[in-house]
Amino acid sequence: MNRLFTMRSKTGRYSFLVDRKTVVILTVLFVCTVAGLILSIQAGSKTISFGDVVLTLLGQGTPDNKLVIGTLRMPRVILAVLVGAALSVSGALLQGVVRNPLASPDIIGITGGAAFAAVAFITYTAGAVSVRWLPLAAFCGAALVSALIYFLAWNKGVTSTRLVLIGIGVAATTSALTMLMLVLSPITAASKAYIWMTGSIYGASWENVYSLLPWVLIFIPLALLYARSVNVQELGDDMARGLGASVQLHRVILLFISVALAGSAVAVAGAIGFIGLIAPHIARKLVGSAHGGLIPVAALIGSLMLLLADTVARTLFQPQDIPAGVFTASIGAPFFIYLLYKNRNQ
Amino acid sequence: MIRSQKWSWLLIAMLLSVAVLAGCGGKQQEAAPAQPAPEPTKEADKQDVRVIKHAMGTTEVKGTPQKVVTLFQGATDTALLLGVKPVGAVESWIEQPWYNYIKDKMDGVTNLGNENQPNIEAIVSLHPDLIIASKTRHEKIYDQLSAIAPTVMTEEVHIWKDTLSLSAEAMNKKAEEAKFLEEWSKKVADFKEKMGDKLKLQVGIVDFRPDHARIVYTGFSALVLDELGISRPMNQKGEEWGVKLTSKENISQMDADILFDQTSTTRDDGRMDLRKEWTEHPLWKNLRAVKENRVFAVDTAVWNNGSGPLAALGMVDDLYEFYQLK
Amino acid sequence: MRSYIHKTFVKAIGLAIGILLLLLLFVASIAWGTTPISFQTVIESFLHYDGSSDAHVIIQTTRLPRAIYAALIGGNLAVAGALMQALTRNPLASPSIFGINSGAVFFVVLALAFLPVSSMDQLIWVAFFGAGVAALSVYFLGSLGRDGMTPIKIVLAGSAMSALFASFAQGMLVLDESGLQNVLFWLAGSVAGKDLDGLLPVLPYMLAAGILALALGQAVNILSSGEDVAKGLGQKTVLVKMAIAAAVILLAGSSVAVAGSIGFVGLVIPHIARFFVGVDYRWVIPYSAVLGGILLLIADIAARFLIMPSEMPLGVMTALVGAPFFVYTARKEYRAKGAAQ
Repeated sequence: MNRLFTMRSKTGRYSFLVDRKTVVILTVLFVCTVAGLILSIQAGSKTISFGDVVLTLLGQGTPDNKLVIGTLRMPRVILAVLVGAALSVSGALLQGVVRNPLASPDIIGITGGAAFAAVAFITYTAGAVSVRWLPLAAFCGAALVSALIYFLAWNKGVTSTRLVLIGIGVAATTSALTMLMLVLSPITAASKAYIWMTGSIYGASWENVYSLLPWVLIFIPLALLYARSVNVQELGDDMARGLGASVQLHRVILLFISVALAGSAVAVAGAIGFIGLIAPHIARKLVGSAHGGLIPVAALIGSLMLLLADTVARTLFQPQDIPAGVFTASIGAPFFIYLLYKNRNQ
Repeated sequence: MIRSQKWSWLLIAMLLSVAVLAGCGGKQQEAAPAQPAPEPTKEADKQDVRVIKHAMGTTEVKGTPQKVVTLFQGATDTALLLGVKPVGAVESWIEQPWYNYIKDKMDGVTNLGNENQPNIEAIVSLHPDLIIASKTRHEKIYDQLSAIAPTVMTEEVHIWKDTLSLSAEAMNKKAEEAKFLEEWSKKVADFKEKMGDKLKLQVGIVDFRPDHARIVYTGFSALVLDELGISRPMNQKGEEWGVKLTSKENISQMDADILFDQTSTTRDDGRMDLRKEWTEHPLWKNLRAVKENRVFAVDTAVWNNGSGPLAALGMVDDLYEFYQLK
Repeated sequence: MRSYIHKTFVKAIGLAIGILLLLLLFVASIAWGTTPISFQTVIESFLHYDGSSDAHVIIQTTRLPRAIYAALIGGNLAVAGALMQALTRNPLASPSIFGINSGAVFFVVLALAFLPVSSMDQLIWVAFFGAGVAALSVYFLGSLGRDGMTPIKIVLAGSAMSALFASFAQGMLVLDESGLQNVLFWLAGSVAGKDLDGLLPVLPYMLAAGILALALGQAVNILSSGEDVAKGLGQKTVLVKMAIAAAVILLAGSSVAVAGSIGFVGLVIPHIARFFVGVDYRWVIPYSAVLGGILLLIADIAARFLIMPSEMPLGVMTALVGAPFFVYTARKEYRAKGAAQ
């Protein structure tokens, strides 16, 4: 038996090399995610039995369960899964393009742009504009700031070192501006802004799910299609050029996908940190760094992480419902330090 | 090889369709609770259905709600005044779970967690028939709350008369509200009469925090003081909520005939040290209120956090005491 | 880097001019503020202090302390930055990039939440501790690995640690809204509203570290010519590095402890100092100290006038100047090198 599968599109333009281990891991993770979804739907201020969950999903549950599951828990867990996947894939692409394991959307400024726009929205519209537009504002912030970073990093092409450093510098600028707005804003706006900046999927609605779903459905498959290009990018510019890849073009495309995923996720869920950094690493540990396998595995791991963080956040401290961002950091941090230590010779 | 290729594409297609189905399934789920099936209660047609306008639109409320959930401090205070003990309320900012001034009235009320992110599932299990919330804090979850029970929202959390009027309307307690307002205006008139010339004494509100001091321009306490006809210094009025002072050289900005100090004294985070430092400063000693010995420390739960009619009454009681009326 | 001043004599004159400017700004900082005070009154208040005069009281109790704070902390942070840039051979190293600020802030928030800490004096020590922890961990994380400390590794380790501390601190703040506003000003960095008593506990450390830094000038020169060269010249590099690290932690830690997170002074100033006097650290360090003081005095004077009678947080002011400078430096430094990597 062949240990490797090749998946190739009809024209042969896109192809993946996927080994058996990756498929097994993907299957296991997929099952875990589904199980996690079900368990998370059951858990809450009142635990709902599996039977009742099934009944409710079939439309036969009690009105209470319909309400709790249909309006509250379902959109929330699904949003957690989508946001986790989007952030994680975004991080995986960034780490590939930048060739540095410590890159992630929150560290190189994409999230900072979104935070700046979101806090500006919260402070300056002060209820005059419906909060429904907040995600749009945040997304625009992320996109504009990313474009700015790319523009500033451009000098006959964009090198990864410059991209990271300029991203960090721009992140510092936006965070100073954000802090300025916070200090000058009324008290209620500041607390709202802080929750946004921590990242929370509290109060997730179907509307949120629908606004994120198209992004995830379009850009994660797109990321898969360009996986080979990430592999090439990881070899370094010279090598990549030698292999005939149009380095700069693919870099722009990959960054664009990454920004689209991170921007849309952050727009609906706030500045949830660390998933984009850590999930891709766990994935790499599991399946190696060929992006064909890495991207779907990273997506599922990101989903699982955020699902776990949010479930803990809303169940463990009843009646308090804590922003999930608090827990992604505490789950992520120890692992992150371990990682830095572990990768010391890379 | 070809087989495995097809198989993999199939897998991806399946994953996608599962995701799409999950979304669509959700849509159907949503449709059901969004229009809460009218409970076929027998007296439904007998009860009057009141259409209430509020910050998020209009909401229909039937009869006199018995189980009310209040999602901000002012609403809890208001409900208690109108004679309705909420079935659930959000936790207080200090003196958790409930402020001392209403603690004895809050026995058995379910704690719904933080005002910023109240626990929605806990609200569901209370089966409320009315939810009173605020757009400032809860705009995002309006749809979810509405799916649980008729929900009304105030624009702000601290404009206590708006909270009162909206809550009374929604709770079908207009008579109680009118009764309170009558008493209140009598009280205000009585206060103004007894105060006489003292109303001209300018009053400032200060609040010490661990690393800065505040002069409060607007807010709950300022609203009540304004209504009572108490004058405020010109530089301490404005659109802004107030001002943060970090340098002691700005102490003279606080100048007024009377100062109410609403510093929260129950917290152990350094604000008492700051207050001590500032109030020992020579510039502080030059303030008119300080020279006249008219600085009053007030209960911050009543003067700042409570933001409801009970708190307003509490403030007036304090004022009678400070001005030695009666 | 080419310097614009070559002769030692001219460098000394330049330093003297710098000190003069620093003194002028120091006096200006005392005279200018929400309450206008004439220079004459300023001088009078020092010669014969009159406790019944508001102006005299303001000068002696608020303006003088904050001017001292601004000058000292600006100098400290700039020297810390210069030493860090030399030690890590990284033009982007500075206290804020190393996560020292956010480390201190995190520990302060942690202490407020879980420890029976109630006064600013105790918080100073907590912040000191946090700064040390952050600096050491970033240094450690950034120098792991075979290729040792590369600029990008340090910067990434620093911002990752910052992100970590910041998200922890934010999480805790979210749980306590009313406590939240109170630390915001401190988080953003400020030298206002502090009296000299707060400075006393850390002043000995600041001075000791400052003197140590000045004394290290020649050793830093040797070290920055490369570790092997330094060893060849008989330098005990480990010892020198440890001394530098100690000076950095004391300087940056004590500054963050008393004034909150004031970023980017340590990044920008050493570059300007090197622009004047080249890479000779015997001069870069004193120049940095003076220029850092000047920058922070200017920033602090501006901070009080922009939104009177409230004030801009000083950390925001410096970040607004410094962060774009960081971007500029990153662009410049990695124009050539970046392409090769």
